[in-house]
Amino acid sequence: METIKRTFKRNILALGCILVFACETDVTDDIDLASSPPKLVIQGGLERNVTSPLPQQQIRLTTTNDFLSDEPNPAVTEALVSITDGTTVWIMDHQGNGIYSNSDLSPQIGVTYTMTIVLDGETYQGSDTLNEVPPFDRFFTEFEEGTIFSPEGYFLKFDTTDPANIENYYYYRAFRNGEFVIVPDPGNAQILIASDEFSDGQQIIGADINGEVPFQVGERATGQQLGISEEYFNYLFQLFTQTGNTGINFGGNPPPATIRSNIINLDTPSRRAVGFFYTADVEEDTLTITE
Amino acid sequence: MKRTVFSILFCIIHSVSAQREYTISGYVKELSSGEALFGVNVLIDGTLGTTTNEYGFYSISLSRGPHTVVVSYLGFQTISEEITLDSDRRVNFDLREESNALDEVVVTSSSKGNDVRSVEMSVATLKTGIIKKLPPAIGEVDVLKSIQLLPGVSSVSEGSSGFNVRGGSRDQNLVLLDEATIFNASHLLGFFSVFNADAVKDIKLYKGGIPATFGGRLSSVLDIKQKEGNLKEFGGELGIGLISSRALIEGPITKGDQDEGRGSYLLAGRRSYIDLFAPLLEDLEDTQLYFYDINLKVNYNLNENNRLFLSGYFGQDKFAVENIFGNTYGNSSATLRWTSVLSDKLFLQASGIFSDYNYEVDVLTSGTEFRWESSIVNYNFKPRLSWFISSGNTLKTGVDFTYYEFNPGEISPLNNSNTTPQEFQEKFALETAPYIDFEQKISEKLSLQYGLRLSFFQRIGEELIPVYENGEPLTYNPTLDLFEENAVLSETPFGSGDVIESFTNLEPRASARFLWNETSSLKASYNRNYQYLHLISNSASATPLDIWAPSGPFLEPQFSDQYALGYFKTLKDNAFDFSVEAYYKDFRDVTDFVDGADLLFKEAIETQVVQGDGRAYGMEFQLNKNSGKLTGWLSYTLSRTERQILGINNNEYYPANNDQTHEVSLVGIYKLNDRWEFGANFVYGSGRPVTFPTGKFEQEGLIVADFDNRNGNRLPAFHRLDLSATLNPKKGGNGTWIFSIANAYNRQNAATIFFRERTQEINDVDIPLGTTEASKFSFLGIVPSVTYQFKF
Repeated sequence: METIKRTFKRNILALGCILVFACETDVTDDIDLASSPPKLVIQGGLERNVTSPLPQQQIRLTTTNDFLSDEPNPAVTEALVSITDGTTVWIMDHQGNGIYSNSDLSPQIGVTYTMTIVLDGETYQGSDTLNEVPPFDRFFTEFEEGTIFSPEGYFLKFDTTDPANIENYYYYRAFRNGEFVIVPDPGNAQILIASDEFSDGQQIIGADINGEVPFQVGERATGQQLGISEEYFNYLFQLFTQTGNTGINFGGNPPPATIRSNIINLDTPSRRAVGFFYTADVEEDTLTITE
Repeated sequence: MKRTVFSILFCIIHSVSAQREYTISGYVKELSSGEALFGVNVLIDGTLGTTTNEYGFYSISLSRGPHTVVVSYLGFQTISEEITLDSDRRVNFDLREESNALDEVVVTSSSKGNDVRSVEMSVATLKTGIIKKLPPAIGEVDVLKSIQLLPGVSSVSEGSSGFNVRGGSRDQNLVLLDEATIFNASHLLGFFSVFNADAVKDIKLYKGGIPATFGGRLSSVLDIKQKEGNLKEFGGELGIGLISSRALIEGPITKGDQDEGRGSYLLAGRRSYIDLFAPLLEDLEDTQLYFYDINLKVNYNLNENNRLFLSGYFGQDKFAVENIFGNTYGNSSATLRWTSVLSDKLFLQASGIFSDYNYEVDVLTSGTEFRWESSIVNYNFKPRLSWFISSGNTLKTGVDFTYYEFNPGEISPLNNSNTTPQEFQEKFALETAPYIDFEQKISEKLSLQYGLRLSFFQRIGEELIPVYENGEPLTYNPTLDLFEENAVLSETPFGSGDVIESFTNLEPRASARFLWNETSSLKASYNRNYQYLHLISNSASATPLDIWAPSGPFLEPQFSDQYALGYFKTLKDNAFDFSVEAYYKDFRDVTDFVDGADLLFKEAIETQVVQGDGRAYGMEFQLNKNSGKLTGWLSYTLSRTERQILGINNNEYYPANNDQTHEVSLVGIYKLNDRWEFGANFVYGSGRPVTFPTGKFEQEGLIVADFDNRNGNRLPAFHRLDLSATLNPKKGGNGTWIFSIANAYNRQNAATIFFRERTQEINDVDIPLGTTEASKFSFLGIVPSVTYQFKF
């Protein structure tokens, strides 16, 4: 089903692009955008990675700034950050540039973690539950010729078996030579995340890690399959829909709206934070591209 | 309650019909073709008057003795006849077109001064003769683009045939082609409409004051009548344009030696070939992109009093890229109608209608080829009786029966691919709506039109209806400010024909006209309308991906109340007329979708939409110049349209997508001489509301926009000028050239402005750069075109 949705959406977008005798103009310099008071931004979450265990768990805190500003988001350096599983509390120490980390925290399957941030006298809180991810049954590459819809190169592919009778949500990441690669593509909302709504308990064969990221011979390619929560899946769906917006209505882009965070401001609920505190179980594999 | 209403009605009818009178009735037709004329003014002794109905029939009751009957219709020579009544009489009139007269009629209600006299308000009538004189949008005159030049009618963007009337959304328009409902009136994703101007006789748009005879939509009725075909002689017309060509033939049936046939037929077709000209990439050599449509109408006089009509429409759009993608969509409809003059005062009509809108998408990506099909089918039966009680008093009553079949989606594999077939549940509904509409003349100055429609809508099986936790599909969580989907606990099966849910609603309608003096009148109207179908579409313009959902357990019917006041005035012996109308409209239970909705291939559509309220108010001014070498109109609309929906915009009112503060249209047609005519229209509109980001942040390596208010910003104002020149043939010659320039000064009107992360293409891949940009999309620049047409 997801495959159908994904090809469908991509094709519909192509249809829109071709049909419209449209003309696109850069109007960045003509637009005056209203700015709103900065909001707290949460980036990152807890990852359980058995293949290449993380030396520490970390998140990053910044604040929003004007959309058309070329400045990076200002880092939040004065926050008190802690994470708890209900019994143990781990303090996340500020390492500089808004990064807070802890090397004792080792995330466990099935546990709900709650993060608390105290900033400027206000307390923010949010939680997520870590869901187990199934392993790759096979991890390989395939060469694909370019079409008008997709680039040419070697693509990371995998087989995996969805666990039966439980709801599963997935997120896929690709890395080139160890560096995370993502493209703001309209298809991301259909390609990079998946649910087992229509494929519960089935084996998925030959799926793409990221169909927009081709690799060349000699490159080291890493793919991750993350087991995520339904809430994070919904969040990513909106995130990828928005960042993949091509400005044309034909694909049915919803009107833009704040993507709701799972972090709540306990003192002033209307002063909302953005971003998501997630927990994920990570299946990972790496190979080097050969001919 | 019902009893009281009927007894009151009976008294009224009894009192007005008590006088001793004779009835004069008959048909008014066009002399050259025998085509029935609708809306012709029949004026007796300069005081009493009536107009012909859709079939050209009129009936009026008069006292015994001599009377002067004046039959007039704009663009036709007026007939004046002395008639002495000593019994009921049948008198038919044939009107001759004023072919070379300078008096060119552009727009107004159907008849001279009729805007002032008629009880109707918020109504506009356009004849195709007029539509064809307006500059074409892109090489093709278009019915729907023409009505957007009227005050109170607009569209969200240039490339959309969907239109908005007085703040209504585009699914709130009842679009009827010979009584058949058209669900998607657009071709080529909205650049053209499905109505072939050649085959259309006239169109009538009700923006308000909708009589009880119509129902099912909140905001307007666009009633389009196809031509009947020439009863007297065979003829045809051929038009060749850069973007499309069209042909039409018409003629009498079983004419024999008679002056007129017993019946007539008309067959018209269009085919576009825009794909030959579209600036396509080399990769897209194998692209197909076209539409075609066929209109057919046949009518036959069984005898003097009984007539049969058969009309049909079939149209398809096709877009395909070989081995990659295909998309086909279209409407088809068929109407069989019987009209019967039961007596001089009773006119009966009954129609059986079939209408179907379907779309298909073929995805031909190797290995996962599949076809997605969806459709909405409905069958109608509409009997109606009109009783011409006496001059100025007419009663119409009838019942509309509609049976709907919704097929929300079916996926089937193509080319033996391994795609799993899938089918969403079909949905069924039955709508029954009896109505009564009464036009009553209280005095020379005061006339009323009022009525009542009772709509009864039933969702019926066979269907499995989910039972949600908390009894509803979505629950609003105020802390997170979002809607959370509730789990499905079980499913309740309903057997075929079982009633799942039913709704019964009363829809009162009323209009009043007070004739101030011979040249001016005041009018007021009130309307309540219910709508049981919802268009769930998350894009503002008409696309073939629309999903229609019926009201049911989780979707309430939407309804609206509209109040309107108007002042109508004619000047200089009808050379000019002027009107101003003010309206206020209240919407309830209109649908919008939740933030972050995913509509594609969703079976449980109720988990993606929320319902809320809306309001719209505004003023419309229109000044028409009806005669002279230069004719045309100037209109101005000042309006506001807002919505309030839980979970959107912090639960506060926000401007609707179709809100437009100022809208100006200036339309002029100048007849230089018998050969040259020039047309121009200029439109100006305030920018549409849009939502611009108020902040940015980073997430998963991408720059994400943050927003504070729904529709808190505006696009730049929209304006454009279209020009045309028509070269008519010399006397006795044939062949007309139409030259046109759309968007003459090449204004790049913004269709959207959107915001994104800058990317750079490296090895065919767009790499995000970490900086942001704003980009404007414009549809059409300047488009010159030429069309040649001739008659045979």
